[in-house]
Amino acid sequence: MKRTVAKGLPACLGLSLLLCVFALASCAGRTPAPAPLAQPDETRIVIFHSNDIHGKIDNFAKVAAIIDAERKGGADVFYFCAGDNFTGNPVIDQYVPPGEPMLELLNRVGLDLLCPGNHEFDYGLEHLRTFAARARFAFISANITAADGLFPQLRPSFLLKGKSGVRIAVFGLIQIEAGNGLPSTHPDKVKGLAFSEPLARALEMKKLRAGSDVLIALTHIGYEDDLKLAGRMPELDVIIGGHSHTRVDTAETINRVLVAQAGSDNRFLGRVELRVRNGRVIEKKGTLIDLKVPLAEAADVKDMILRFNQNPAFARVLAEAPFVIEGKDALGSLMTDALRQAHGLDIAFQNGGGIRLNRLPEKITLKDIYTLDPFGNQVVQFAMSAAEIRGLVTASFAKGNDIDLQVSGLSYVVRTDSERHITEILLRAADGAPLAEDKKFQVGVSSYVASSYDFKHEDPGRALGSTTAEALIRFLESRPDLSVYRGIQRAVQDPPAPSRPY
Amino acid sequence: MQIKVNGQAVEIFSGARVRDALRKYSRAEWKLVQKNEKIVCDGRGHPVGLDGELNGGEELLIAVCAVPEGRS
Repeated sequence: MKRTVAKGLPACLGLSLLLCVFALASCAGRTPAPAPLAQPDETRIVIFHSNDIHGKIDNFAKVAAIIDAERKGGADVFYFCAGDNFTGNPVIDQYVPPGEPMLELLNRVGLDLLCPGNHEFDYGLEHLRTFAARARFAFISANITAADGLFPQLRPSFLLKGKSGVRIAVFGLIQIEAGNGLPSTHPDKVKGLAFSEPLARALEMKKLRAGSDVLIALTHIGYEDDLKLAGRMPELDVIIGGHSHTRVDTAETINRVLVAQAGSDNRFLGRVELRVRNGRVIEKKGTLIDLKVPLAEAADVKDMILRFNQNPAFARVLAEAPFVIEGKDALGSLMTDALRQAHGLDIAFQNGGGIRLNRLPEKITLKDIYTLDPFGNQVVQFAMSAAEIRGLVTASFAKGNDIDLQVSGLSYVVRTDSERHITEILLRAADGAPLAEDKKFQVGVSSYVASSYDFKHEDPGRALGSTTAEALIRFLESRPDLSVYRGIQRAVQDPPAPSRPY
Repeated sequence: MQIKVNGQAVEIFSGARVRDALRKYSRAEWKLVQKNEKIVCDGRGHPVGLDGELNGGEELLIAVCAVPEGRS
């Protein structure tokens, strides 16, 4: 179908049309039949939507086939994304350049608009700017302000026009954290950008109603805040959201506003259908298409996915060690040193169950790291006293009456009695001196430890916007001296457990 | 930040995800969710993904479901 854009048409959208037409020929198999045409004086608008794909690309061949088929029908068809395309699949995150498969797939499928989510910034602003420059879709967010030249592709809103001439104004919104007023990513990744409170900013976008027939908010603020927005802004026709990974099987209508969200991880494709007559939406509904069931697939997209999944970057050697690094003491010390360096922490801990390899070979590849640390755990930071650290060590020891937590930035000894009950925990700073009792230390742990271990901490803690595996990759790429990990032991039980030599 | 899980307040670090709140709430319930024997919904009954990002004040419900997430 033909799409035009009333304002600021990026040249890329024209090419997108050509690609979509070309792609129709390459779809194979069964596709859903297009819905019947609208009445002559009505326009039918179909907006497909995804959110929180997080690099899960395997269902894109089905998405392409569904959208291609709909474009053969009489409706004005668009495809929106409500943010968070990156982070969550090492195949995509470690691609060279990072996220490249998402760009190629979204271009091919014919995405029209993307509202950046907090994870769009995970590879850094410079990367996102380069990504946006090559995108055949527009980036919209009304509550992000960028200094001149920092993110030139970003605009608050966009006015789309289908072949029917119906004008669809869409603005974007991104979530911000209550504490620092920034989206949930590492603060360094959004330097130079300013963020305003999304719901307040949304109300300023009412002005778009005057020049449009349909007004849509494309958001990454979470379903609960989408509902609040609907309650405050009846001028909206539709809110298409993301961030909370909410599966809204049938879109809800709140205050006359349709609120939709399509789960996460590309398991569902959202479909909003509008009937517009005389510049007014007279009917609207939103449903989800289950992508986990057998559906027709676009053959060309299937080929792209196969190619992307054979990511050659996984064989890349990150570092060469002078020997095989083996055992939980050595591997845990390496992993915690990485956490500490990556985030400028005083101390870091790694639980034994999160070390999934017994040894790292001399030539350490990217694949080795994702095998060693496959869970995608986030790094979480707490300000902790020595007493609180002792409490964490106690909780970890109690899990199996054995040393569990490997450590960087200190060493510790757990003294036990004959029945292996803890009698004393000695904490020593890196220089061997007793750890100061009157000081707070910045401590890093995985999100698994933060949420699963029963320990007291006055500081509620905060996720740092990256994973433990990413910290290790960065550490190894910084060419550290790996010879220190031969025979290293920073956490000791006294007397030693029967299975662990002292 | 504070999240409610099945009506019970759970204190969790900021930037936590649904899976973090569940682990903090109950290891037993978390295991049932992992085994697809239960699903997690928001306060209005919509299923949410385990990597869904949480804001303070949100409510989660762990429920038995006829067709759990991930099974088709």
